[in-house]
Parts: sequence; C-alpha cells; structure tokens
Amino acid sequence: MNSVASIIGPHDLILVTGATGFMGPAVVNSLLRHGFKNVRAFVRPSSSVARLTAVANDRCEHARIESVRGNLLSPDDCRMAVQNASVIIHLATGGDKSYPDAFMNSVVTTRNLIEACRHQASLRRFVNVSSFAVYTNAEDKRIDEESRVGAIGGDAYTFAKVKQDELVTEYGQRFGFPYVIVRPGSVFGPGKEAISGRVGIDTFGVFMHLGGSNRIPLTYIDNCADAIVLAGVTPGIEGEVFNVVDDDLPSSRQFLRQYKRNVKRMRSIYIPRPVSYAFCRMWEKYSDWSEGQLPPVFNRRRWNSEWKKARYSNEKSKIKLGWTPKISMQEGLSRYFAGCREAQGA
Amino acid sequence: MLKVAIVGCGKIADAHASQILRIGGCEIVAVCDREPLMAKQLYERFPVKHYFEDLAELLAKAQPDVVHITTPAETHYKIARLCLEHGSHAYVEKPVTLNAAEAEALIALAEDRGLKLTAGHDDQFSHVTRRMRALVRSGYLGGPPVHMESSFCYDLGDPAYARALLSDKSHWVRRLPGRLLQNIISHGIARIAEFLPGDSPQVIAHGFVSPLLGGMGETEIVDELRVIISGQERTTAYFTFSSQMRPTLHEFRIYGPRNGLILDQDQETLIKVRGERYKSFAEKFIPPVALASQFLGNVKTNIGTFLRRDFHMKAGMKCLIESFYRSIAQNGPPPIPYREILVTARIMDSIFNQVASKRVPLGNGARASEERMPVEIGLRSR
Repeated sequence: MNSVASIIGPHDLILVTGATGFMGPAVVNSLLRHGFKNVRAFVRPSSSVARLTAVANDRCEHARIESVRGNLLSPDDCRMAVQNASVIIHLATGGDKSYPDAFMNSVVTTRNLIEACRHQASLRRFVNVSSFAVYTNAEDKRIDEESRVGAIGGDAYTFAKVKQDELVTEYGQRFGFPYVIVRPGSVFGPGKEAISGRVGIDTFGVFMHLGGSNRIPLTYIDNCADAIVLAGVTPGIEGEVFNVVDDDLPSSRQFLRQYKRNVKRMRSIYIPRPVSYAFCRMWEKYSDWSEGQLPPVFNRRRWNSEWKKARYSNEKSKIKLGWTPKISMQEGLSRYFAGCREAQGA
Repeated sequence: MLKVAIVGCGKIADAHASQILRIGGCEIVAVCDREPLMAKQLYERFPVKHYFEDLAELLAKAQPDVVHITTPAETHYKIARLCLEHGSHAYVEKPVTLNAAEAEALIALAEDRGLKLTAGHDDQFSHVTRRMRALVRSGYLGGPPVHMESSFCYDLGDPAYARALLSDKSHWVRRLPGRLLQNIISHGIARIAEFLPGDSPQVIAHGFVSPLLGGMGETEIVDELRVIISGQERTTAYFTFSSQMRPTLHEFRIYGPRNGLILDQDQETLIKVRGERYKSFAEKFIPPVALASQFLGNVKTNIGTFLRRDFHMKAGMKCLIESFYRSIAQNGPPPIPYREILVTARIMDSIFNQVASKRVPLGNGARASEERMPVEIGLRSR
C-alpha cells in the first residue's frame, strides 16, 4: 500500500465508471495499490469483467470490489451506481463516430451521473476523465492546462469531450459541485495495439507517417491510472484541471522506429508537415465546397491538434498531485511492444 | 421560405439537418428533443433558430410548415398526429408507424386537413433507384413486373449498434412489434411495394434467430428472415433479410416479361438483363462483354455524379425532401404514393405477426433484473 494524503478514508466507497474499458482495470488496480479497499465498478450489461476479476484476484487483500451492471443513460441505474460513493472516477465515454451518439454517451451520461450524486452527502469528489483532444493547439506551442480548448472543427469525440468538460465545469460553478478534470495524453500499454493517430495513419497498406520530429504526448496506462487516482483523493484541488503525460516523450520518428524494430516491419512514408497541412487545408475546402460530399475528416483543427509541433507539460500534475510516472518511458514502450507482439501472435 | 422543424435529435436527425441545408427556399426554425441536451447540441452545430424540449411549445412558438419526425418508431404516430393536427406537414422517418392501422389513420388525417405526409424511404430516391424507375416507366421490362427479389441485409458486427441492442434488454428496438426487423426492413419492403399491384398482398414469412445470436444467449431478436409475397395479377416477390450472409446485400432485382434489371444500392450500379438469348456459343461470349460494358458505364455515371458534387451518402434523402417540399409548395401529389406507404406497412404487419406467432417466449426479465444488482467480484480476508 502507498499511503497518500487523501480526502477519504481507505474504506470509503469509490465508484469507477467505464471500469471494463482499457483504463478501468488499471484504475481499480491503482486504487487498491494506494490502499483503498472499497471499490464499485460500474459496467455495461454486456461487458466482460474478466480483466477486473483478474485485478481483484491479484490485489484484493482485505478489499471489496463489486460490479454493478447498468446503463448511464438510465437515471435509475445512475442513482443505484452512485449510492454511498465518496469519490466517483468517471472514465466511461462515448467513442462513437456520429456526433449525436458520441454526445449522448459522453455528455448526457455525465449529466445523469452528476444529477444522481450532486445532493449526496457522502460525495467528496467527481473526477471527470477528459482528453488531450480538447486542446485546439491553434496558437500554443506549449500545451498545458491553460491552453485553449475548442470543439469547432473537431471530430465527434472531440466535440463530446469539450461539451462534457463544459458541463462539469458549469455544475461546479453553479452548484459548487466538487469536480476535478483529468486530461490524459495518448494512453498506451498492453491491450491497446493501435498506433496513436498522432504518429500517423495506416491506410491502403502503407503507414503515412505524419508526426515526424513531434513529441508524442504518451502516458503509460499505469502511470495515467495513478494520476487519475491521485486526482480523486488529493486534498485542495477542487475545480482544477490536470494534464497527464509521461516524462522523456519520444518523437514520432523515434516511436515509429522502435515499433518497427520491436513489433513488425512495415512500409511507411514520411509526409512533411507543410504537405500534410496543405492536404488537410485542401480536404477541408473541398468538403465545404462539395457540401460535405466528403466529410471533413482531415482539417486544420485536426492538423493543429495532432500533427503540429508542440511541447507538453506535466508540471502541474507533479506539483499539485505529487504524481510521478513510476514506469519509465522505455519500460512502458517495452511492455507495449510486447503486448503488440503477443496480440499479433494470437 | 418554408419553415422546417426537426423532432428527435439523434443520429438520423443529423442527416436530415445536413440535407435540408443543401436545399434552397427553406430554413430550420426549430429542433426538439425531450432530452434538452440533445436538442441543444443539434442547435449548436447547425444553423437553427430555436431549440425546445416540448413539441407542443415548438409547434406553438415556431409555427413550422413541415416537421421532420426522427424519434424512435414507437413515438411516430403520436407525434405525427400532433403535428398534422397543428397544421404542419409531416416527414416521418421509417418505419412510419408501428402498424398499418396507424399509417392509415395518419394518411386519413393528412388528407382531411389538406396536408402532406411522407415516409423516410429515402433509398427509393437514390440516384440508382431513380435511374431504375425511369427505365421501368419507359417500358424496359416489357410489361408489368412478373417477379422481384429484394435483399436487405444488416451486419450485426457493427459493434456500437450490436452492443447496445444485445446488451440492453430494454432497448427501444426490443419494444417494437417487429423488433430489429421493424427498424430495418422497410427500405427493402418499400422497393417491392412500389411495383406490387393491389393493396393487400399475400405474405408467407419465415423468421428465426441466427445461430450466432443464439449462441450469444439471444432469444428475442429475429435476425434472419425469408418472405414470399404475392400481389394481384400474380406478381410475386421474395424478400431476404439476413445478418449473417455475406456480402451484406442491398440489392433489388425486378423481372418483366421481356427483360430484367438488377440494382445494387451499395455500389450504385444498375444492370440491364436482356431477356433474349444469343444463338449457340455467342450466349457464352457476348453477354459477359456487354455486362462488363454496363459496369464500366456505371463507373462513368458514378464518377460524373461525384464530380458534380451530388454523390453524398444521403443523396436520396435530399431528393426525397426536395420532392416533398415541392409537393407542398405546388400542392402536387406526395413523392411517395400513400398506397405504397400502406402496402409496405401491411406487408410488414403480416411478417411480424407470422414471426411472432412462431416465436417461443422465454421471459428473461428476472435474469435481467438480477444482473443489475451489485455482484461482488473480489472479497478476500485473511
């Protein structure tokens, strides 16, 4: 157990939504490692709890982990889920490609959850897990918690995440709702084999390498989970936003080189930034001109957000949360590559 | 300027809003959803004047000329009725209603009030379907259709939809009389209804749960359906719905006494099938070349449509909406004849009744409620 300064006791109930997703088991694991002994995992009716069970079997000495099945679109299910919870870690999100579906499964669900718990005496904090996708990076070269956020031109996920953050912030301002927002960069680790879109796009059998010398804002899954847990329990940080990226970020080129060496050989073509910018600009203009015959999947907003050169800061998380990435970048990458090899072998 | 409102701000409402914006002479004056956040997100992303969470308030304040109803099917009848009673024309997404009786009542109400109603059978207005319709009307078949085959498949491998539907025992699709079938097959049935003579076809339906879904514990969602339909004058049709067969066809074949036509909705190709045969070995060589030439012609047509900026995924919806608005402005006939809407509904009623009468109820409500109770997955004490 790692003891940390905490707004709750070890036996207070912590609810984790989206508990069977990529991050969920890692967050539950981190909670148990930090000495919290009472965790409720909220999962979809169809989700497998195998990974959670593995965490429980591994870690739950004197701890209680329960799963509650339900749908966050149901206010009744939300009320049942939040009952007696002291901290809510809200990981569940809508990854849908359509705007209404992504919005419904991110924003409406979050509103339902907040409405279910905001009058609850036991509630001490609501951790809203957001994303780096919300940052426009239109003018900033250094992305930190003060950087500009915007939905215009973003894809469905970005739109939903921006609106979700706005909703949570509004509840905080209007009702004193005790929230903290965590914005992870590109979370990586075993179990998620896809290469971040910030590195490039695999299309028609060729990997279009778009990142070049850009640093990729990676955060290893276990490091990110630790940051989320600390955001849930650290005293005196209500209403704050925390970005989560690891140290020693590799450039896109370094990442891709290591990937090819450790996972598989593949053909890649580097697209220089001016070329990718011009392509995104042209695609965007054609999409406008053709009234959406081709949807604007490539546009300047996306280019700025994913492929423009930027630097990333994790100072605030280190100072205010006392967080440090326990798994080094090289170790994290080794585990990730091993996971990729295993998945490909399977 | 035609004042348009959209009720129901989910996924399909986005398609409606996008296509309405491409049409001149109209504006979206309001959108409505009983979930105000959903109404607001549509209002924020499109040039819309107001948003509401109450339909009566929308009708009173925005006074729309036309209301597009894009809510779940079970609400269509009630909402369409309210709109028509208020004096608004109604574009109702498919399936128009839960049964033919409701569709008849809505059409009667629209006619009584001098209003128009249309169904969201937008595939009927895609480029390729319009080309097929023109050929049929030109007499290419050589007389009334003899037989039709409509295949309308669905890939339940689509993780978002399948996950939502299979995992949620109270999903709104499960509350429809025809469940999954009702939400999907109307496009394929409407193709048949257009060319089927008479108003009350005979229907023989066989539906079942696929082995794949059965293996996942699903007992209610019928995802395999085979239907024989017979209209007046002995025109017949087969309808196939499958979640398992590949490719996931969206195809329509229509055969007359002289020639036939094969329409592929996914590829937007239309192939003429000659009734006459060539002599001897010529039949083995000439038709394949002619077919290749026709496919090349389809490629050329599709590229031309794309270059003219009119090859949107919902181009059919735009054409249907435009035609509907024109029928309102000119007080002309609606783009989809009411007979076609009713025959589609009657065929669907008959299919669902036959499928339901053969289904064995298993009643797993108790299991569903148990699953919602907390389950301990890790509790260990030393």
